Amino acid sequence: MPVWQSIYEELKSENFEIISFAQDTGGEAAAGPIFDAGNVTYTTVIDVNHHISALYNLVNVPSGVWIDEAGKIQRINEGTYAAVHANGAFGTDEYVPIVRDWVAKGADSEYVWDLEQVRANIFQRTPEAEMAQPAFRIGTHYFTLGNDAKAEQYWTMAQELDPTSWNYLRQDLQYEDGGSAGPAWRERRTQIESAGGTYYAPLGIEPAGAANN
Amino acid sequence: MKNLMGFSLLLGTAVIAGTVTAQSATVLYNERVVAIEQTLPDASDLWVTPADLTRINDFVLKPEGACLADLCIPVLQDRDSDMYVTRSGQGWFNVTGLADKLEQAHVTDYADSIWSFGAMPLERRAFFRGGEAPDFALPDRDGNIVRLSDFRGKKVLLLTWASW
Repeated sequence: MPVWQSIYEELKSENFEIISFAQDTGGEAAAGPIFDAGNVTYTTVIDVNHHISALYNLVNVPSGVWIDEAGKIQRINEGTYAAVHANGAFGTDEYVPIVRDWVAKGADSEYVWDLEQVRANIFQRTPEAEMAQPAFRIGTHYFTLGNDAKAEQYWTMAQELDPTSWNYLRQDLQYEDGGSAGPAWRERRTQIESAGGTYYAPLGIEPAGAANN
Repeated sequence: MKNLMGFSLLLGTAVIAGTVTAQSATVLYNERVVAIEQTLPDASDLWVTPADLTRINDFVLKPEGACLADLCIPVLQDRDSDMYVTRSGQGWFNVTGLADKLEQAHVTDYADSIWSFGAMPLERRAFFRGGEAPDFALPDRDGNIVRLSDFRGKKVLLLTWASW
């Protein structure tokens, strides 16, 4: 968060905005203090229903989308860590420099994808998986009403309808023993990765077209 | 979960009760939580008055059909159909029927009459085909509505994260 704030301060005068969505069923109480601790001045939304991930077909957090001045997507669905985390186990230092390049050069940045690449990187969901969002939404509604049993029923239903979503799984695990990065999460991650899947879509940091060289 | 879905499929054909008794419902649509005081009792579909239809999803019932901006889905109104019926002079519109025509995902808790709808595929056609960023309207931490379209003319880095 502090890294994004410093990037924002560096680039905001260049027609650049960050909109940050905290996907937290716990709402302001869960995410607000983290925004506050980062002294964040960019646009902040607490997205209790995971609305943005549903709309943009994002499967994990953190994820990022680049949108140009006309509303066209230029990159999408990447694990957008601002830095390598302290323990070195995850994160990357390679993403922030390409954001800087994009803000400076716009469509001329070598990191901007063409439409074909954008379309290829939009995660595809089955019709059944499309039902996960309204199911998750009911779960969150019950959670807000204090009905944890019904919340769990519909959050579980969302995970079953869309097993590709790390968000629905990890949000739910937060309320269980072991938390969002405990044994259940590790087991699931190992299953998916050993089957050739990925936890995040790989960061395509190499310049567009490099694969053809 | 499987039982619920099977239940919904089995009762795909609407069975309309002959008499109207008050049955409330809660509809979750995008960020909206819409309380409906009276629905037409039905085992599988959500029937509401035309006024409540608009409260739910902004569709307006016009002579040419159920309309949202330039989109109009034809709806017969001079006789009963699977989309619209008249009971004791009151018209009732089938919201889930409209969603099905639009291939819009929806999930129901029948016990508590909670009806939850996903995004309309039509809204996202330009996203999948043309890489256009879908617009949204969500409140920021101060309660002001944030729309992507408010940022036209700027580059936007949209980020998701979570505390968990």
